[in-house]
Amino acid sequence: MSDTAHQANITRRETRKPGDLRPEEWTRERWEAAAPLDPIPPGKSTLMELREVHKRFGKRHILRGVTIDIYRGETLVILGGSGSGKTTLLKHLMGMLRSDEGRITIHDGSNRLELGAADQAEIETFRKRLGVVFQGAALLNSLTVLENVGLPLVEVDRLPPGQVLPRVTEALRRVYLPAEEILQLKPASLSGGMRKRVGIARAIIQNPEIILYDEPTTGLDPVTVNGVNELTLDLQAKLGVTSIVITHDLDAAFKIADRIAMLYLGRIIAIGSPEQIKANTNPVLRQLLTGATQGPLTEAYLTAAPGSAAP
Amino acid sequence: MTPRRQSTIWVDRFDRSTSIRAIEAMGGAVISRLQLAGRTTLLFLEACAQLPLVGRSLPTLITQLEISGVGSVLVLSLIAFLTGMIMAVQTGSELEKFGVVNNLGAIIGATFVREMGPIWAAVIMLARVGAAMAAELGTMAVNEEIDALRVMSISPVRYLVMPRILALVIAMPFLTILADWVGMLGGMSVAVNMFNRPSEEFWTSAKGILSGLDFYSGLGKAAVFGGIIGTIACDRGMNTTDGAEGVGRSTTDTVVLSVIFVLLADLIMTSFIQVILKPVMG
Ligand SMILES: Nc1ncnc2c1ncn2[C@@H]1O[C@H](COP(=O)(O)OP(=O)(O)OP(=O)(O)O)[C@@H](O)[C@H]1O
Ligand SMILES: [Mg+2]
Repeated sequence: MSDTAHQANITRRETRKPGDLRPEEWTRERWEAAAPLDPIPPGKSTLMELREVHKRFGKRHILRGVTIDIYRGETLVILGGSGSGKTTLLKHLMGMLRSDEGRITIHDGSNRLELGAADQAEIETFRKRLGVVFQGAALLNSLTVLENVGLPLVEVDRLPPGQVLPRVTEALRRVYLPAEEILQLKPASLSGGMRKRVGIARAIIQNPEIILYDEPTTGLDPVTVNGVNELTLDLQAKLGVTSIVITHDLDAAFKIADRIAMLYLGRIIAIGSPEQIKANTNPVLRQLLTGATQGPLTEAYLTAAPGSAAP
Repeated sequence: MTPRRQSTIWVDRFDRSTSIRAIEAMGGAVISRLQLAGRTTLLFLEACAQLPLVGRSLPTLITQLEISGVGSVLVLSLIAFLTGMIMAVQTGSELEKFGVVNNLGAIIGATFVREMGPIWAAVIMLARVGAAMAAELGTMAVNEEIDALRVMSISPVRYLVMPRILALVIAMPFLTILADWVGMLGGMSVAVNMFNRPSEEFWTSAKGILSGLDFYSGLGKAAVFGGIIGTIACDRGMNTTDGAEGVGRSTTDTVVLSVIFVLLADLIMTSFIQVILKPVMG
């Protein structure tokens, strides 16, 4: 940000966004506060609307008022420390967990689906539009790679084996796996990175509209990481897929994201374009981006009261 | 306000709060047990509701039948044979004192067909198969595999639970027939070799006491045991949390709960058969 712009911001204090605060202006209260919602940009429409979502596991308050709009067709990256509730948030989006408070609304044209109040059938219909890449791949260990990737085609779409094989081969090719070599192997005899990619292949095989990625590139070599990033961009460009990506990989985040959100102590404390996030002065983000060992992130680890969520 | 009065209030308060807390804790424990029982029952009903779709789970059913049924044949035979022999040695030496060893077949036969057969089949099944099933499903739950199935709109009850319970319900009566025969064979071998009785005498004596009701009620009990073991194992497995430690807990829970509920069900069914069915059917 240029000096003149900075000056202009200071003179019109009330129009400044929290992310523009000068470093010395930050207080704990400000850096822990939920980021305000941006107005929906022209040409965008909301696909998922989260308002004040809370989740407790016993006494542990993991999500503490998550508020965010997810736009149709965007790639949203969610950053957050280990154990900050990223997977928990994702499970709310797939209807695996129900929030204690707040609501999650799925917009589909004029239809709205409240995930918290939806019945099983409605959730199942919604899930048909979802592909999920689980953190640990979540492949079925008793099935071969072919059976795993083809599982939704066989069990849900009821396709005959003749139609399953070519689609499985194609999906595996998209994640840079040698289909012929591994089709008949069990997940246990694959490497961690290969399992992850098989998991991605399974998530994309039914051409979902929305893909949720839980740390898709953790444990992959740099070339494959690039490949997975390109796949995400490609799916968005060609098929208009909405991707919600949890990652620890900042390079990847800045490469693929339309918007980046930061989850900290159970709230979205910052959200914006990669440039906005890079320029954001919130000390939590600064620490994450610079990798400093001193700062609010580490502080929260050390001082979090028992029973509260450390990031 | 006198100090004495104060202290009474204090004691009064103390008593009330501890007793309330005790009642609360007890109530909480009872409620959580009831919730668990409700959840398990619901899982069984859900599995029954998925039964019409068994055709789509045929491969799993066959695999499970192999694991639970075929895989148990050797151990069960060995245990039934040994138990049959031990019982024959014990009762045989008592009968010999009164000169009525010729009734050995009746005693061994009745015990095996009515009780020992189904119970031994259940014990082998819950220790070998139920525990492994809970561990398998528990690992799947911990690895998010069950979540993955749900997200893909594949019902884990249809895909995993129903074929597993059904396999146990089908396998148990066959295993019971096996245990009945092998157990009696063990008893007979003692009758022949230790008490020097002809083998026909053993079989005739056994046949004399056993009715069709004994035989079929034994098989019926076995099928119920299979349903109990399968349901408990699947419920515990599917609801596993807390990683490897949780898998261990689910496995142990499955064994302990299965033993308790199999014996309870046995008591109820046996009472029903002896008190109500026997007099009616003769
Ligand atoms: N089912 C559950 N029951 C109890 N506690 C849970 C459950 N699921 C998650 N938690 C707790 O919630 C917190 C957040 O977990 P979550 O898996 O969402 O973190 P995460 O941000 O995905 O972390 P990571 O980056 O390590 O994957 C953790 O402290 C975890 O122990
Ligand atoms: Mg996670």
